[in-house]
Amino acid sequence: MTTSPQGTPPGTDAPQRPAHAAPAWQRTSRTYTPTATGHRLEVRDLTRTFGDKTAVDQVSFTVEPGRMTGFIGANGAGKTTTMRMMMGVLRITAGEVLWNGEPIKDADRAAFGYMPEERGLYPKQTILDQLGYLGQLRGMNRADALAEANRLLERFALGDRTKDKLETLSLGNQQRVQIAAALLHQPNALILDEPFSGLDPVAVDSMVDLLREHMDRGVPVLFSSHQLDLVNRLCDSMVILDHGKVLAAGTADELRASRPKRHRLRCSQDVGWVRAVPGVTVEDLEGTEATLSLDDDEARQGLLQRAVDHGLLEFTDLAPTLSEIYREVTR
Amino acid sequence: MSTLSPETRQDAGDPRPGATSAPPIDRHVSHPWLIVLTREILVKVRDKAFIFSTLFTLVVIVGMVLFNAFMANRTQDFSIATDSDAGTQLVQTAGAMLSGDDEMTAEQVTRDEARQLVADEEADAAIYQEDGRWVILADSQLDGALDNTLTAAVNEYTMAANAQAAGITPEQLREGAQFEIEYLSGGNDRGFATYIMRFVFAMLFYMSAVIFGMAIANSVLEEKQNRVVEILATAIPIRQLLYGKILGNCILAFAQIALYAGAGLLTANIAGVTGEFGWALEAAGWFIVFFVFGFAAQATIWAVLGSLASRSEDLQSNTTAITMILVAGMFAGILAQGPWLAVASYVPIISSIAMPVRMLEGQAQMWEPFVALAVCLAFGWFMVRLGEKVYQRAVFQGGRSLSWRQALKLEQ
Repeated sequence: MTTSPQGTPPGTDAPQRPAHAAPAWQRTSRTYTPTATGHRLEVRDLTRTFGDKTAVDQVSFTVEPGRMTGFIGANGAGKTTTMRMMMGVLRITAGEVLWNGEPIKDADRAAFGYMPEERGLYPKQTILDQLGYLGQLRGMNRADALAEANRLLERFALGDRTKDKLETLSLGNQQRVQIAAALLHQPNALILDEPFSGLDPVAVDSMVDLLREHMDRGVPVLFSSHQLDLVNRLCDSMVILDHGKVLAAGTADELRASRPKRHRLRCSQDVGWVRAVPGVTVEDLEGTEATLSLDDDEARQGLLQRAVDHGLLEFTDLAPTLSEIYREVTR
Repeated sequence: MSTLSPETRQDAGDPRPGATSAPPIDRHVSHPWLIVLTREILVKVRDKAFIFSTLFTLVVIVGMVLFNAFMANRTQDFSIATDSDAGTQLVQTAGAMLSGDDEMTAEQVTRDEARQLVADEEADAAIYQEDGRWVILADSQLDGALDNTLTAAVNEYTMAANAQAAGITPEQLREGAQFEIEYLSGGNDRGFATYIMRFVFAMLFYMSAVIFGMAIANSVLEEKQNRVVEILATAIPIRQLLYGKILGNCILAFAQIALYAGAGLLTANIAGVTGEFGWALEAAGWFIVFFVFGFAAQATIWAVLGSLASRSEDLQSNTTAITMILVAGMFAGILAQGPWLAVASYVPIISSIAMPVRMLEGQAQMWEPFVALAVCLAFGWFMVRLGEKVYQRAVFQGGRSLSWRQALKLEQ
């Protein structure tokens, strides 16, 4: 398996799918562009009740082929319940999971890679042995499973520990083995519950590289996380869940576009006058600088005309960070 | 959010154009339970504690058989001092009565010399006649076999002498003086030997059921506790996991009992004592059949108990009931008599001990073991069906330990 820096191997038709092109804000930070082929995973009105309590309430979103979707929400928001329903571990009260547009079957799920919330494989079995076993259960023959396990462990710098029992490894290394277990069988989709928790930044990077290789094959990746900065950095799109409901979903740009825009104004003179401009709401004002939002284009014109008279130095859009969006929608 | 794109492939296993790696994988797993079963067995046979306990039990079994053989084959030479021809004759009669290669020799000396020989431990005993009574003189203890033989010989000898005096043959004198033994149940109680066999059956079944039962429960709990079961459940139907686990441990238990039986029989054969246990072989064969059915019938229960627990501490309390049933079965096998034993021989699980015991004692009709096996099979089938339901629900429930009822009420 090799990384394709352009991400569009011959024979694909990425230009037909502009929605998949990396948004402008991402292009500077990475070279990865998702492929256009692959599988699509979708949940529609997924609902789960436990007695009187509705843990997941009509949740709908799509994980596009070859894209990484971040699943964000506080503890108890319903992320794990949703993922478990998607994996068929938990019965669905209502709604459905679609795989390439069709209701998902167990055979489809058998080809997924899954990392459950609470970790742990067999503590008393050697790591290579148990990876071989898990590969066999996913339809690989044992020799292939062991070869692939060896390759992955080598990559995680665990090549010399393959004969060690899992429980003798550090938690970070156990986490790596867990990841290997999810990737071993060339999964068609990845559903990862908090995959990065407990990993150091270098390990996160190396794992992200590995995930990108699978995304290049068109594999959709859904991962949940509390770490908003990580989601911000890694994800093509995200789903924000709160109390079992989807509050916002889409690409980072889409989410930003849906929020009221804020701007910063800096002039050479005092900007106290902005309060008097119609259609302008001032959020913060300090001497020659102000943070404000605008009702419409008319307000923008009025503001900028007067700003020029007051020695305009800077007028910028303030893109909300993901944390800000998250706090705002979950407020 | 968006509609299905035309290039999105429908079939899961197909190679995707432009995929950067890996040929397509045939993901079909034809017998997942077989993979689970293989793992269960491989993990266990590599477990040092398991290897050690099996070897230890083997050594104990071989040792016991060898000890028995040694005791049975041991030849004894008794040397008896006496002061009369009658005494020498009596010793010869006794010598003829001895079993196997045992021998008895007489040494005719004076009474004082005879006393001295016994005192010097050169003779095992001295016999002489005093005031018309026969006396056995021993130093501090008299060998049981020697006592019995001499007593029988003196009986024989005296009776022959009395018969001669009365002018009749010893046979005429003895006529009608012996009991004919009849059994109500038509059996032949071998007493102590049967008791030992009952004990062996009961202990073997109890030990195997508890040891492998606990292994099943722990194996299920390990997967539940570490959430491996969630990964496994996405790969194969959870039922297959249960089947593989139960069958794997059944095979291990059968293999172990076959190993013990084989080692015992082989040792007995080599030591040349098989003849003495021939009468037990048929019952022992049936015991193995009942062991297989009985063990399999209760194996699911252990798997369910493992799935109901949330920590290994829970297993100690929730396995009490099944352990008590097995203990009851063990005591029924060792102690029960008559109607109690007959009833026990039809109760599933307990029948695995009680029915072979009845066969050992020759109490059971030909059709009875088959009926008991059928009852056991029906019970085992019911337990697997019920167990599946409980297991599938309970094994994903973390946090607290559950009861059967609570688990059945859970939504999956």
